[in-house]
Amino acid sequence: MKILVPTKRVPDTDQKIVASDDGSRVNVEHIPFIINPFDAIALEEAVRIGEQRGDVEVVAVGIGGEGYEQPLRTALAMGAQRAVHVRCDESLDPWNVARLLQAVVLRETPQLVIMGKQAVDDDANQTGQFLAALLGWPQATFASRVVVEGDRLTVDRETDHGIETVRLPLPAVVTADLRLNEPRYASMAGIMKARKKPLDVIAVGDLPVAIEPRLRVISYRSAESRKRGERVKSVDELLDRLTQPGAALHKRG
Amino acid sequence: MTQMNTADVIIIGAGVAGLSTAMQLAGRGAKVIVLERDRVGNGSTGRAAGLLGQLRGKAEQTRMLVDGLAIVKELEKLADVEIFVQTGSLRIAETPERAEEISALVEMGKSIGFDIDHMSIDDVARHLPYMRTDDLVDACYCPTDGHLQPAELAAAYLKVGKQRGVRCETNTPVTGIIVEAGQVRGVRTAAAEYFAPVVMNAGGPWSYLNAELAETVLPTAAIGHYYLTTRPDPANPVDRLSPAVRDRELRIYTRPESGGLIVGIYDAEPDRYDMGKLPADFDMSRMKAARDSLQVAQLIEATHHRFPWINERTPMTITTGIMTFTPDARPFCGEMPNIQGLFHCSGFSGHGIVQSPVIGLIMSQLILDGHSTYDVSSIEADRYFDMPGYIDRRDIEDRCAAMAGNYYGKVERPTVAAGGQAAK
Amino acid sequence: MKVLVIAEHDGKSLRAASLSCLTFAQQVAQATEGTVSWLVLGSQATGVAAEAAKFAPVLLVESSRLARPMADSCAAAIANVAKNHNVNLIAAASTSFSKDVLPRAAALLGGAMASDIVRHEVTAEGLLFDSPQYAGAVTATVQLLGSPQVVSVRSSAYPAATPAAAPFGIEAIAMEDATLASRCEFVELKTKQNSRPDVTEARIVVSGGRALRNSADFEGLVGKLADVMGGAAGSSRALVDAGIAPNELQVGQTGKIVAPELYVALGISGAVQHLAGMKNSRTIVAINSDPDAPIFDVADLGLVGDVYEVVPQLIERLQSR
Repeated sequence: MKILVPTKRVPDTDQKIVASDDGSRVNVEHIPFIINPFDAIALEEAVRIGEQRGDVEVVAVGIGGEGYEQPLRTALAMGAQRAVHVRCDESLDPWNVARLLQAVVLRETPQLVIMGKQAVDDDANQTGQFLAALLGWPQATFASRVVVEGDRLTVDRETDHGIETVRLPLPAVVTADLRLNEPRYASMAGIMKARKKPLDVIAVGDLPVAIEPRLRVISYRSAESRKRGERVKSVDELLDRLTQPGAALHKRG
Repeated sequence: MTQMNTADVIIIGAGVAGLSTAMQLAGRGAKVIVLERDRVGNGSTGRAAGLLGQLRGKAEQTRMLVDGLAIVKELEKLADVEIFVQTGSLRIAETPERAEEISALVEMGKSIGFDIDHMSIDDVARHLPYMRTDDLVDACYCPTDGHLQPAELAAAYLKVGKQRGVRCETNTPVTGIIVEAGQVRGVRTAAAEYFAPVVMNAGGPWSYLNAELAETVLPTAAIGHYYLTTRPDPANPVDRLSPAVRDRELRIYTRPESGGLIVGIYDAEPDRYDMGKLPADFDMSRMKAARDSLQVAQLIEATHHRFPWINERTPMTITTGIMTFTPDARPFCGEMPNIQGLFHCSGFSGHGIVQSPVIGLIMSQLILDGHSTYDVSSIEADRYFDMPGYIDRRDIEDRCAAMAGNYYGKVERPTVAAGGQAAK
Repeated sequence: MKVLVIAEHDGKSLRAASLSCLTFAQQVAQATEGTVSWLVLGSQATGVAAEAAKFAPVLLVESSRLARPMADSCAAAIANVAKNHNVNLIAAASTSFSKDVLPRAAALLGGAMASDIVRHEVTAEGLLFDSPQYAGAVTATVQLLGSPQVVSVRSSAYPAATPAAAPFGIEAIAMEDATLASRCEFVELKTKQNSRPDVTEARIVVSGGRALRNSADFEGLVGKLADVMGGAAGSSRALVDAGIAPNELQVGQTGKIVAPELYVALGISGAVQHLAGMKNSRTIVAINSDPDAPIFDVADLGLVGDVYEVVPQLIERLQSR
């Protein structure tokens, strides 16, 4: 069985993230880049499925510029057997990422794609579903449990109304939610082995996909900086503030 | 000059060193202003594990830690909070060299009347059922050791300090130190100037940059450190009062934390940080280890050797932070000859939490009396002053990093204990 | 513009979030001299369709294959209707249903999609949307290239629509079974009515600190407030150490890292070790009897008071709302 895990390289969003003064970009120069946390969960799940079954090849895929070697090496150290780097220096929207992933899937012919439910930079939550639709594969999004049995998957999905369990045939696309697992830190052996594992580079031009943007960012702006340290005098005032429109306890509908 | 920004002592840095000193100074009636670049305790203090092992290579160091514990117990009453958790501590040996180290330590401890003794491997196994013991050749146990809870300690210093009139300004980085004719006059921040005849540099990893503001070299370096905290595992319960363990051969130390286990490592080749190159708003609590960090992998490997139930798949949190090392792993406490009134209090080399109670007392004595009731010869700030090899930043970093790398790895031979006897 | 709003329902009634999304759609339609319709998908959905028709005209696809909202069948149905009715803009409230279904439908329609929008603007160049990114630290203003455009709408950003004087029409659309076939099989839904969510996934977290004196008080104050707010209960390390709160609730450097929309800190002093676990929360409320507690420096709203007095009042007011 082959499992493909797309991994995105993202700035660590636990750091302070602000837009540039002219709004043309997000300032990430001083911020460490990491493997998208949801993709790390997806990768962990793929590696665990491999550890349980023994006959699994886990292939990590990254699409982007030079910096993508780093998260792919991380993925290899965590237990992926092989990595594919689609070298592309252009900035891509989820639609074009999904189309490039589709081309990689057609080359690699995995039975299962597991990826993060969203990337923590653009928070789009689109690519996995796009990919499933483009491939015509069934999807199970927001997974908190994945069980592979023969050529079928049983997946617990986190929904607003509870945990939904679904069964679907392979091949399929699964997107990982936070509670699927806690990803590991690579072992010494994992880090050593990763240095020798194959990392194939494909030029984006070698895939049969013409980049067609669907989403154009006009500008970025930082969230209004919080006014910290404000005091209220009473329970009533506190509740007034928390229930006004836009506040967390505002009743909708 | 405004009256408001005038004090007897200005302290740079609201970590445990600065806050403990502020509390002691204010207790003797001094007017103290503490200026903190970020939030209280958000440097090394906020990332520390706080292990207290009172028996050190020198008797005077041991006396300081023992007295420090008495200060903590007093502070617990004043602030109404539990700071010291008395778990007892174990040192374990898996080689003959390490066993000798332990024998020497026990001998020295006994010579100064300290409660420490060898413990049989069977007893170790009974005390710590979750630890591997089949490869041990000796161990020693000290029942009065434990750890200080860093958050509670910093909060207590601040609480009692404020009661005594200490003023603490957070989010106020010091941008300049005012020196006139070899005498310190105060400090500058983006918004104001503050005046005092004494300024104390308790900037932790930033302290060498503070010294540079006064054109002084403080030979400390910023060294990375990692520890893991396992989530509680019902199959391997860790009692809240399980003893701390030091395994110098594996370079690790452990203590209980919220039902899980903290395991930290003194890396042979630790990360180094150039504090001047970090962003101005660098926030140590946001530091994060990469999933394929070599240091974390080494930490997990060493941990797995001693605690076989912990491996890379174990649910855990990795904490990484920056500690301040010196070329001999002892802090710098006091003035340098070139600038009067500029006191340094930094370089605790991973032991700032547990040294801070007595260091606050010592610094207050040095500042107010000009001398201390403790023998401070081993921690004087000027011991490398103007010494070749301790001036260039790069040399300093190499020396401090080498010290940090050897910190647990090297076999320790306690030699002549000041006021005690030759240990071996 | 011709706008289609996907109605989310439980088989009996519309979900409130869909009415906020309808307001967004009505605003766009009004500014572009367009029209708005609902799309109701379901197996026995005439009741929902009738309710929806009080607000806007309804397109109704009824099929036993839509008894459960599976992504592949719902997406196929949406794409089919959008194509046949020349829809320009498809919108749905940003919920776990639409997050699953809508991108799949967008992919069948060319891939022009914006997620979780909080504002829109009609300009000469077309529609612009504000979409939060980086967990809300940055908002991007985006334009979609291609048609139809697909957006999920954060329901808190728009008020709920109001019913019209007279109901609109309902048009039933027949769709072939093959179009609506799903390859996913529904097994079960475990509702979470009786259990509190985990701190890491909850929209609201109520945490207790040292001020809580025992487990019963923790449950009665922290737990109860979490329940009436529909959130999770959390704890500082001090309470876990004291055995007052269970381990898995610990928020902080050596516990769990959370970033909910609302974090309520009850009797927590706010040491950096605790802040490390919650400071990325959208809104932080602190209640503490010590006016100097550092938690007030990071809190958006602080109330100086004894949690034993304040929290029961809060619970009572929230319950009587």
